[in-house]
Amino acid sequence: MEFDEMAPVLVVVMNNLRDFEIARTEGWYRIPVKRAPSRLGAEYLAFYQTKTFGPEKWAINYYAPVKRYRLVRREELLPQEADHPRAREWYYKVEIGPLQKLPHPVPSRRLRRITFIPTTLGKLLKAREINDLWCGGEAEEILWELFRDNGLPAERRYLVMGEEEEKEVDFAFFCRKGKLAVMCDEEPLISGLMRERPAVQDYELAAAGWIPLHIDADAIFREPQRCLEQVCRAIEELGGLM
Amino acid sequence: MRLGFAVKVLGQPNLKSHDSRRWQNNPHLSVSLAYVRDIFLYLERQGITMYRLSSELAPYVAHPGLPQFHNQVDECLQELEAVGQMAQRQGLRLSFHPPSYVNLSSPDETLASRGTRWLTTLARILDAMGAGPEGVVVVHIGGAYGNKRLALERFALRWEKLPELTRRRLALENDDSRFSVADIGWVHKRTGIPLVFDYLHFLNNPDGMELTEALAKCLQSWPEGVRPKIHFSSPRTAMKLVKLSDTASGQVRRKARPPQTTEHADFINPFEFIAFCKMAKNAGLGDFDVMLEAKAKDLALLRLRDDLRKFAPEEFDGI
Repeated sequence: MEFDEMAPVLVVVMNNLRDFEIARTEGWYRIPVKRAPSRLGAEYLAFYQTKTFGPEKWAINYYAPVKRYRLVRREELLPQEADHPRAREWYYKVEIGPLQKLPHPVPSRRLRRITFIPTTLGKLLKAREINDLWCGGEAEEILWELFRDNGLPAERRYLVMGEEEEKEVDFAFFCRKGKLAVMCDEEPLISGLMRERPAVQDYELAAAGWIPLHIDADAIFREPQRCLEQVCRAIEELGGLM
Repeated sequence: MRLGFAVKVLGQPNLKSHDSRRWQNNPHLSVSLAYVRDIFLYLERQGITMYRLSSELAPYVAHPGLPQFHNQVDECLQELEAVGQMAQRQGLRLSFHPPSYVNLSSPDETLASRGTRWLTTLARILDAMGAGPEGVVVVHIGGAYGNKRLALERFALRWEKLPELTRRRLALENDDSRFSVADIGWVHKRTGIPLVFDYLHFLNNPDGMELTEALAKCLQSWPEGVRPKIHFSSPRTAMKLVKLSDTASGQVRRKARPPQTTEHADFINPFEFIAFCKMAKNAGLGDFDVMLEAKAKDLALLRLRDDLRKFAPEEFDGI
C-alpha cells in the first residue's frame, strides 16, 4: 500500500470504552484545549488503549484519518453531561474517518503513562513498541537504534517533574539501585533554537532521585560503540537493569 | 522592528504549515489551523513576532471544479477566531503572499477572476482572525504580456473592482524583472495600495532609482498608523548543484552552476542587513518590519538575530 511516510500522526490516549465507541461509531475524539499538546495538527490520530481494553490494553492497535478539527464546548459534545464541572470548557473535537487496525499492535513495554506522542505514519506503521515512535535529533535516533538493537530497554522522552513543569529525559533506564537518565547533548543547528519540551536539568534530576549521564552528540557520531559501553557501565554501577 | 519568516518551519521536525493532502483525501482549513496553532506556539517559544501564513491554508478553496471546498472559511469561523486571538496575544504580525498564478494583470478573465476569489478568501481569513490593518496579502503585478502599461492598467482596474474587504488587505510588491518600484508606484498613485519594498528584487531591477529613494517611496505609501513592512534577502553566492536528466537515456547527472543574482541565499548577510538599516535610519525613513526571505527560513532569522546582537547591539537592542 502506498502511503505518505511523513504524514503527521498524533498518538492520543483512549482510556474508556465509551470514548472508543464514540470514535468508532460517531467518528470523533476530544482533547481539552487547556491540556492540548504543543503538536495538535495531524493527518491521523492513533489510539493508545489503557488497561480497560482487556487483550488490547497498553498498546496502540488502531488509527484513523483526521477529517477536521472543531472548537466546541464540552456540553455540546456530551449534552447528557451538561452538569459536568467542565461543561463550559473548550475542547478540540477531532473528527475522524473509520478506525483502521494496525498491521501489528504497538505496545508499551513498561506500561508507562502516555500523554500525547507526535509521530509520523511511517514510524507508526513500522513501530514495534511505543519508544519507536518518537522523532528525535540525528544523534538521539542513532543512540536509540543502538539501545534497541542491543536489547537495552530504554524508555524515550520519559517525563520527569522539573521545578515548575514536566521535562523530558531523553532515555530512562530503571536499574536495581536507581534510575539512570541518559541525556543526548546535541547542539542545536542554530544557537537559541529551543527544544519543544525543555530538557531536564541535572539538579532537577538529582532532586527526583535520578543519576544523569550526558553523552555528547559528536561522540555518538564518531564512536557509537563506546557510547553504548559507557551506558552499559553506568547501568552495571546501578546494579543492573530491573 | 519585527523580523519574520515565511511559511515553512525548519527549526522543528515535521511541523507542517498547512493541510497538503490531495483533494481525494478531503483536506480542510480546520486541519491547517491546527498546524498554524502549533506553529504559533513555536514562534512564541522562539520570540518571533512576524510570520507569513501559507496561502494554501484553505485547500482547493478557489478551485472551480471542486465546489465542496469553497465554504471552508465559513465552516471555520470559530477556529479562525481562536488562532487569531493567539496571534494577538503574542503580538504576531501575519501576512499572506499568494503564488504567482494569482495574477490580476492577466488578459485572461477566467484566470484573473480565479485569482480574485483566492485573494478574497485570504482577506476573509485575516478578517476572521481579527488581524489589524498590518495584516496584509502581498501580491505582484503579475505578467506584462508584451505591454507593461496595459498590464498595469489591468491590475489597477481589477483592484478597483475587488470587494472592499479584499482591497483593504492588499499590498503590492516590486519584482525582479518586470515591475520596478517606479511601476508599482504608478499603481499606488492611482489606487492607494500600500507598497512592499523587496530589497533583492530592487537590486535586480532598480529601473534607474536610488535605493533610498525607492525604499522611501514604498514606506511612505502605507496609511498613517500602520507600520510598513519590507522583504529582505541576500543574493545567493554559493555554487549550486542542479540535476540534469537526459531525456533519451533517462540518466540523471549533477552539474555545478554559479548562482543567479535573483536567487535567495540560505541565510542573511548580517553586514548587508545592518548597512541597509543604517541607511534607512540615517535617511529618517521611520520604522518598518522585515520579512526575511531566506531559504533557511526561521533558522536564518534566529541566526540573523544573533548576528545583530553581536555586530550592532546598540542599533538592534531588544530585537
